[in-house]
Amino acid sequence: MKLLVLKFLALFMLLSATNVFANASAHNLEELSMHKEETYQSKPFSEMITGFLASTGISAFINPNPDELSSDGKAMSDFHKSWGRVIMILITFLLFYLAIKKGFEPLLLLPIAFGGLLANIPVAGIAGEHGFLGVIYNMGLSNEMFPIIIFMGVGAMTDFGPLLSNPKTALLGGAAQFGIFGTLVGAVALSQAGFVDFTLQQASAISIIGGADGPTSIFIASKLAPELLGAIAVASYSYMAMVPIIQPPIMKALTTEAERKIRMTTLRHVSRLEKLIFPILVLVLAILVLPESTPLIGAFMFGNFLKESGVVERLNDTLQNSLINIVTIFLGLGVGSKLAADQFLVPETMFIMALGIIAFSVGTAAGVIMAKIMNMFPGHKINPLIGSAGVSAVPMAARVSNKVGMEYDKTNMLLMHAMGPNVAGVIGSAVAAGVLISLFQ
Amino acid sequence: MLANYINKGIFMETNLILEGFKFMGLGMGTVFAFLIVLILMMNIMSKILNKFFPEVQPSISAPKANAQKDNKKVVAAITAAIKHHIEG
Repeated sequence: MKLLVLKFLALFMLLSATNVFANASAHNLEELSMHKEETYQSKPFSEMITGFLASTGISAFINPNPDELSSDGKAMSDFHKSWGRVIMILITFLLFYLAIKKGFEPLLLLPIAFGGLLANIPVAGIAGEHGFLGVIYNMGLSNEMFPIIIFMGVGAMTDFGPLLSNPKTALLGGAAQFGIFGTLVGAVALSQAGFVDFTLQQASAISIIGGADGPTSIFIASKLAPELLGAIAVASYSYMAMVPIIQPPIMKALTTEAERKIRMTTLRHVSRLEKLIFPILVLVLAILVLPESTPLIGAFMFGNFLKESGVVERLNDTLQNSLINIVTIFLGLGVGSKLAADQFLVPETMFIMALGIIAFSVGTAAGVIMAKIMNMFPGHKINPLIGSAGVSAVPMAARVSNKVGMEYDKTNMLLMHAMGPNVAGVIGSAVAAGVLISLFQ
Repeated sequence: MLANYINKGIFMETNLILEGFKFMGLGMGTVFAFLIVLILMMNIMSKILNKFFPEVQPSISAPKANAQKDNKKVVAAITAAIKHHIEG
């Protein structure tokens, strides 16, 4: 009997133990299933529909999620989450129109505009740190990589022949940089007057729009004022595209009819050796005078040196075509990611746009006036119309000079003459960029 | 105290615009200095290169020869065509 009781007790304990075990495992299972239920739990169909409706873009536009943060992790106002995004998407549609119908720098404006469209999608967070636009931005824009690669390609496309055959036209490319520094003073004065609050760094980044050089603008903006990158890049590229509209009235206002008809002497032949040594010469000069400018000038001259060496046709071809095309796509999308409503729809953007056009106009005018000053000295006369090509915008500005010149004398071909100041303008704005960077070191 | 503050404020204000002009002076000075030196170097370089390494100009004589060859070919073709026409 005693044995039986013992056995019973043992059995009971065993049972309870296993029961505890079973309980525990059941608990575990329950936890697991609860975990599963958190991600998916069976719901009535009506609830599913309302839940889905709450996650649509329409509801995100109408009832912005109060917890949603901007791509750089800051809180956004409700306006920037709702109507701001709608406005920005409409702006990107306008940019599509300008790029496709009006032909305004479509190669860059289309990727930028589409990037802007993607960056303004609610919920998806494409421009955020883990979205693909954010990844592209961090890959090559925040570290200034893409503008440098673009510069290599531009270098490989540039022919310094016209500049080498008439070196003094380089001064025109220098005078046009007046647009940069004139705008710098303007931007500082604006913030002084209390309209807007630009720091000296921001003012410098904005003024570089006057250099009319997209990659340089992006390089400086991401170095000195990354928060303004979107507006600066868009201003820079859209004004570059509008060079044929902005420049001619200024050029005509500053010149007389006789000056516009000046014929320039034909360019001398430039030997291959000269073209080969020139990039090294510029680079050595940059090393000695302004090492801060060597990332830009170095990349530019690297591309040009490969081209002029004549022995690496494959590399030259890659730089001029595939590489620059690939990087242009990434650069455009990366810049577009900065067209998010919370970063673009701010009062500063308006001032940047206004200052940008002033920078362009001042640069154009300074180039033309410089040509007139140079004509006061003895020597071969210069047609002041090529002065406007001193703002970089290669080769658009040179074509504008040629076109305006032909309006007054159909046989006066200024294109090659204007290419001299045009490429000197690229060097000039790279030097100006170097000065600005060195001032903030 | 207040006057001092205002004075300081005005001083700061003029200072920032002045700063802009300083940037302009330095920047334009550097750009022009750079380009002027570059112009001088370009002139010197072209003089030295043309003196010591005058370019043999095959690029100019070659196309001429080519052009003449082409001309000859064209003449030959025309003659052949005329001959063919007359004969046919």
